[in-house]
Amino acid sequence: MTGSSGTVPPDRGPDPSVANPEGSAAGLPAYVLRVPTGTYRSLNPFTKSVVALSSALVAFGVRGWTGPLSVLLLTAAIALVAGVSRSLRRFVLATIPIVVSILLINAFLYPGATDVLFRVGPFAATGTGVTVALQATLRVVAFALSVAVFSLTTATDDFLADLERRGTGRRLTFVVGSAIGMIPAMASRATEIVEAQRARGLDTEGSVRRRIRGIVPLAGPMVFGALSEVEERTVALEARGFSAPARRTVMRILPDSGAQRALRWLLGVGTIVVVGASIAGRFPLP
Amino acid sequence: MAWLSRQFSTRVIVLIPIAIAINIVLGYTVQTILKLPIYLDSIGTILVGVLAGPIAGALTGILSNLIWQYAPVIGGGTIGPFAITAGVIGLLAGIWGQLAVYRSRPASGMQLIVAAIAAGVIAVVVVIPILNNPAYTDPNVGGYPSWVYTAAAVIAVIVAVVVAAFIYVRRDLAGLWVAVAGVLTGIVAAFVSAPISAIAFGGVTGGGTDLLVAALRQGGSDVIHASLGQGLFSDPIDKTITSFVVFIILSGLSPRLLARFPLGDRLVRDRAA
Repeated sequence: MTGSSGTVPPDRGPDPSVANPEGSAAGLPAYVLRVPTGTYRSLNPFTKSVVALSSALVAFGVRGWTGPLSVLLLTAAIALVAGVSRSLRRFVLATIPIVVSILLINAFLYPGATDVLFRVGPFAATGTGVTVALQATLRVVAFALSVAVFSLTTATDDFLADLERRGTGRRLTFVVGSAIGMIPAMASRATEIVEAQRARGLDTEGSVRRRIRGIVPLAGPMVFGALSEVEERTVALEARGFSAPARRTVMRILPDSGAQRALRWLLGVGTIVVVGASIAGRFPLP
Repeated sequence: MAWLSRQFSTRVIVLIPIAIAINIVLGYTVQTILKLPIYLDSIGTILVGVLAGPIAGALTGILSNLIWQYAPVIGGGTIGPFAITAGVIGLLAGIWGQLAVYRSRPASGMQLIVAAIAAGVIAVVVVIPILNNPAYTDPNVGGYPSWVYTAAAVIAVIVAVVVAAFIYVRRDLAGLWVAVAGVLTGIVAAFVSAPISAIAFGGVTGGGTDLLVAALRQGGSDVIHASLGQGLFSDPIDKTITSFVVFIILSGLSPRLLARFPLGDRLVRDRAA
């Protein structure tokens, strides 16, 4: 089971009824290949993940204004090209609690700052504090959005299939894919448990002491229910050769190109150099 | 290498995604539905660490936070960089698992009373080095207001009483070790989280605990020490509760199921003795 483009078994042959305009090497039908379309979406998932990772590193690693602002601009440009700027709004809203916290606490309570801008009651907003607060806000938003753009433009199974083709073990692929797939099911189970326990008198509104007592009736059924599946899944996987020594053949080969490979190396090495130089204080940026 | 691959049997590989989903969904539910000022997002991590070992635990913690950041529906926010803390928590849980901390140890009579008192004393003793930490005592470094000491002492006493009661009511010495493991994990988690929070997010997390950060800053602490002070408050409490929840869950599972995991033999009571 080695080699990514295995030959079609002679007894089956390519299905003539399936449209296969690309005429791919493996002779796979289009519904298996499902190549994503669109300017940014059609890039190889690995390229998009390198872009997201580099953005996150630059946003956190290059201090001051330059890092977060350049990441934010790049992310915004990508979001516009990929046409996901509308769905991005939800991710911006999700950062509001922390942004409010960052702005208030740093603007008014920045330790050791004396350059007072204005006063509200006993609290004084300082210039240093406001600068730090705005930079931290930009960092957080830039980071959250770069991950969000990756998440919105890349299907999880595409990303995992591509990683497995590049040599990631099937165990890691299974763990990540299975966890992401399980979250919605588990969330609806949590809702059911909360409703059931409320019907039996669980207090989710009362005092802190009463709510702490609610942890075990909530966590217990959820964890026991989930753990009861471990045996079945283990047997199912073992029966399908999960622990076999050979590599799995990946049927879906997502398009990649030399230009993208060059871009990934450039981004990866560039990010390490820039972040390293910035931390070492080699070139002070505003 | 055998030590490593033993931690990743197919059964553990199946358990890890379930644990990740438990971490994310339970953390989300506790924070939004029960609205408690704790996280409770490491039950799955500690469970895997205790059942399978340190590396499996660390992997569960790291992947939980990365997936939480990336997950298409509930993702976003700022949980991602705390993957480092979650990894350390899983690593520690694996060490506790190998030391058989979570094994049930039934006892009675004098032994039980001594253990209950010892647990109370240890809870207080663990707090003293925190209070004597230069971060708290040196006015040039931390400069925490005096109510921090009072509050820490009150919480220590409450924790001591609860742990002692748990040991006495359940007639189980394990409560002592579970509490110690939880408190130590919490202290380590606080020290790992504080720099992350300070460097990445200006020292805040966007949750209810930010009020504490604000109070500490008002008292004159700098960015990293305010975060550390908040962490040393919330994390030991959170991890002790998590630790006890995991212990209650483990004691509710059948020995037949537990024994199939790599560290199962450290959890199942020796019936012959």
